[in-house]
Amino acid sequence: MDLAICLTAVLLELGAVVLLLRRSLWREYPFFFLYAIWLLFANSAILLADLRFSYAYAAVYWYVDTSDIVLRLLVVWEVFRQVFPKKSALNRSFSKGLAMVAAGLLAAACVAFWAYQTYVLPSLASPAQARLASWRPHLALDRSFGFAEALMILGTLVVARYYGVTCGRNIRGIALAFGAWASISTANDAMIDLANSFVPLFYYLRPLSFVIMLVVWIWALWVYEPNPPIKESEGLELSRWTEDWNRTISTARKLYGHD
Amino acid sequence: MINLIFFAILGFVLFGSFVFLALQGGPKSLPESSALQAVANIISLEGTSFANARRLLDDTDYQVLCSNPDLRRLAERLRDDRKHLALAWISLLQADLITLWRFRRFLIHRGVSSSVSEELRTLQSLVFSLALLAVLRISIYTVGPFALPRLTRQAGQLVDSMSEGAAVVLGRIPAAGWADIERSWAKSAA
Repeated sequence: MDLAICLTAVLLELGAVVLLLRRSLWREYPFFFLYAIWLLFANSAILLADLRFSYAYAAVYWYVDTSDIVLRLLVVWEVFRQVFPKKSALNRSFSKGLAMVAAGLLAAACVAFWAYQTYVLPSLASPAQARLASWRPHLALDRSFGFAEALMILGTLVVARYYGVTCGRNIRGIALAFGAWASISTANDAMIDLANSFVPLFYYLRPLSFVIMLVVWIWALWVYEPNPPIKESEGLELSRWTEDWNRTISTARKLYGHD
Repeated sequence: MINLIFFAILGFVLFGSFVFLALQGGPKSLPESSALQAVANIISLEGTSFANARRLLDDTDYQVLCSNPDLRRLAERLRDDRKHLALAWISLLQADLITLWRFRRFLIHRGVSSSVSEELRTLQSLVFSLALLAVLRISIYTVGPFALPRLTRQAGQLVDSMSEGAAVVLGRIPAAGWADIERSWAKSAA
């Protein structure tokens, strides 16, 4: 079963990379393309370790997973730069603020990661529990940063929605699938540390949700549908609007006697 | 431990939020203003071009006339006239809806892309709008033009939303082809 899931994931990653190459989408989404290449490489290494070097499988899996946590920021960055293009007014207005929020989230994730040593966890009497204990740093790292990354994606989508920025099928599919998977992964990792009985669930829930994310990515990339350009008002129109708005505010102040 | 419970709960909450966003779908596509203008140029919509719906359905004059017993008969005549005008306007709106629907079918017949779900939604909206206009007609016929003024005034919006739908479809073909569409439509309508 594990092997089948791993093989399916590698095939789907290959499919995603081929789609990005064939439709020249990699030019449009370079950071996402880099991440897809990384996934293909990393999961091929895991598959190879599973097939030929089973003694190294666990080490390969966890090292790949740990590197992946950092590289997932490529997807977050791709979604952000597509939703708020560099030259747009929204980017100029919010990039600094959102960057500070992202930095804050990453700092909080670091703190949450270091806090894992203080947890009161189940005893390590059996070898299975001892093995589980060796996963803990990885699980803590994964859930802390996975949570921060999911929150960044959700924040980007919510802000986009609030300001009426339309997301095309490509970015919408990538962002929603990635965010949903990172959320499930966060909850799953926390539940494993909470109770060992969740371990069998971990074996299947996380990889299966990862495969579903890859399927959604392929669906999203099947048709080239980028985000439509953000229409911005002309300078004259904008200054007229500002004048009208200022007039409304001053009228309202007069009415309520604040002026 | 609290930290773990916090992550487990928030993980599921976040997952729910993503599912919610996915189910909500993207924002509805709005037609380009040029496409809307083109639809207005290609099809003459008589019902929506009537700008005095507010005045037609305003009962102030009627009330003023009714307040004078000598002018009651005149008030009744005014009410009857307004009733006939309102009925004629509703008929024009119904005709506009049908024309817009025919125009949409014409565009799709000419090869403009659409999906089954989009077509079903349009059909559903058309049936609903026609039914609502029929109810308004009955209400105007039975209780007069001043009974449901607000609802009657908003009847024009039904045609506007149908017009936007047609503009969305027209916007899927390059603006250079609109003149050709206009000629073909005029020929088919003749």
